[in-house]
Amino acid sequence: MKACSRKLRWFIPGLLLVSVMSLGITGEVDPFGFVGDVYASEALVDEALTESKAELKAAPKPTTEDYPGIGISSRSIVWVLAQMHLFFGALVLAVPIFVIVIELIGVKTGDPRYDDMAHEFMKISMTAYSITALFGGTLALALFLLYPDFMAYIMEVFGAQMMVYASLFFMESLFLYIYYYGWDALRYGNSKWVHLSLGLMLNGVGATLMVVANSWATFMMAPSGVNEVGAVVGNIWEVMKGPLWNPINLHRFIANIAFGGAVVGAYAAFKMMTARTQELRAHYDWMGYTSNFIAILAFLPLPFAGYWLMAEIYAYSQQMGITAMGGILAWLFIVQAVLIGTILLAANYYLWSGMSRCEGSRRYDGYIKYIAFVLVVGFLIWVTPHTLILTASEVAALGGSHHHLLGPLGIMPAKNIAVNLMLVFTFLSFQLYGRSNKIATVPWADMGNALMVAIYAVAIFNIIFAGVYYGYFTNTVYKVGSSVMQVGSTLTVIIAGVVIDALMYKNAKLLPVNWGNVSNRSQYALFALPVAFTWLMALMGYVRSSVRTDWHIYTIMKDTSPDNFIPAIGYAGNMMTMVTVLFLVFVLFIFWIANLSGQKQAPPAAAVTAGEGGVA
Amino acid sequence: MTTDKKNLKIWIIAFAVVLLYYYGLDHFIMSVQGLPLNLNLTPAQ
Repeated sequence: MKACSRKLRWFIPGLLLVSVMSLGITGEVDPFGFVGDVYASEALVDEALTESKAELKAAPKPTTEDYPGIGISSRSIVWVLAQMHLFFGALVLAVPIFVIVIELIGVKTGDPRYDDMAHEFMKISMTAYSITALFGGTLALALFLLYPDFMAYIMEVFGAQMMVYASLFFMESLFLYIYYYGWDALRYGNSKWVHLSLGLMLNGVGATLMVVANSWATFMMAPSGVNEVGAVVGNIWEVMKGPLWNPINLHRFIANIAFGGAVVGAYAAFKMMTARTQELRAHYDWMGYTSNFIAILAFLPLPFAGYWLMAEIYAYSQQMGITAMGGILAWLFIVQAVLIGTILLAANYYLWSGMSRCEGSRRYDGYIKYIAFVLVVGFLIWVTPHTLILTASEVAALGGSHHHLLGPLGIMPAKNIAVNLMLVFTFLSFQLYGRSNKIATVPWADMGNALMVAIYAVAIFNIIFAGVYYGYFTNTVYKVGSSVMQVGSTLTVIIAGVVIDALMYKNAKLLPVNWGNVSNRSQYALFALPVAFTWLMALMGYVRSSVRTDWHIYTIMKDTSPDNFIPAIGYAGNMMTMVTVLFLVFVLFIFWIANLSGQKQAPPAAAVTAGEGGVA
Repeated sequence: MTTDKKNLKIWIIAFAVVLLYYYGLDHFIMSVQGLPLNLNLTPAQ
């Protein structure tokens, strides 16, 4: 009997502990229905009920005085830290994704150059990893210091998920270090497959980390799993899977790869331009080409992921969508067009310059001017604003609020045509580059070429037709619906192009490629890419965050801090520029560190002489 | 069949197949959104 009561004495608190823990994990008040069980006393039931009431408390409503200040704008501090953490986070999560693919290509082809390149890419990621963690930690401290009520609420909503995030971070570090430092120890045979598996685990943990962190951002924009006053009513899964979670997950996943590719491309350009031997120049030229290939291949579907995200934002809250694209933030989309135009022009220019590596590319030289023409016209249409801030006399001189060209070219149908054509023609540059050192030997090559030309021609017609006909001659519902037709046309070109070329150029006759035989000008295009990508991330990250206007958590928790307003565009532009420059300075530091690790100081002359003497 | 005629046939087949594909694609994309192709300029319902 005594033994039994002793067991019960430990069992009840143990049960209570499990119940409390499960509250944290699931977010439910009573997930297993244990309250009121025969094992629990009446007092325990009361305690559980009290807890459940406490659980259903509303989001805090802090006043301006509740925000501690340190003399500098709290928003600016968090802005810089969050953006820096995101830049580096994107880089360190993206690099292992394409590294494992390159490593696998190396295994399949048996070419050790792929393995060396993948290893060198990881070297850049390693230094960036520590910096990511440092900015992440500093950001967390800044948030707890400057926004304590907000952080208390977020901790309450996400509960034990935060510890899951911390555990994932440990696992990420574990896999990253083993993957990088075990590279040479696990290089051949079955060991290589162990190494690849470690890389897979690293990427799996990295992707999970990203989607967990994304759920915090999307909860702030479109909260779920809480009631209208912010009390948690759902479990953690319901809190996480808000309407914007998956669009953000996809958008960030693709964007990270494009961004990571661009940054390592700049590293390759830096190394190529400082290379002392032709062999090194050739190696880094090839590395730069691969990086550009990764960046642009990931970038091509990115606008569609962004389109999906914006469509979901509109579906969730039309007001939020209008704030982004039709209100104070709308002008930033023009800046976005400038940056994306820069990326596409730089990437295309790099490809056209790179054609000089191969004699076989001469047959395609004539097409470049047409591609350039479409890109420039598309770029100009994309940056055309719809409305201008005008004085009364300017409006009178213009004959209305819209210029006769700004009216039709400033709206989405024209921009959709422009962006889709720019993507189609960028892919054409890729395809021509890819074909420049090959001659097809399959008997159906003529049919394959005819099919590819037909796909391009009809896709271009379809994109223009869908934009003009549905955009200008029918009502809005068709306008939105037909934009998906344009996306379908562009994706068809990309997918068909990849498939047809893969089949048509299998066992093709290969022409020599002179790696390293490329102008230094083309390498500046590789520098332009990460600059534009970084600026673009800072810009659109700001837009995404600002659509919440004066809410910490949209419709749930008001921001009553002194910075609870959308700043002027000029101020925001300066902040984005500052953080972009800061990131680039850190990137240069990383390049320097990566370079430093490969250098060895020559032993002092005296020591060498003494050593030689000793031997003698 | 001369080479020219053979080439012409290849191009006609290629364009016919692709046109058919895009028509089907457009039809499919609009229908999953509950919209007809609406090529006669009638307002959407």
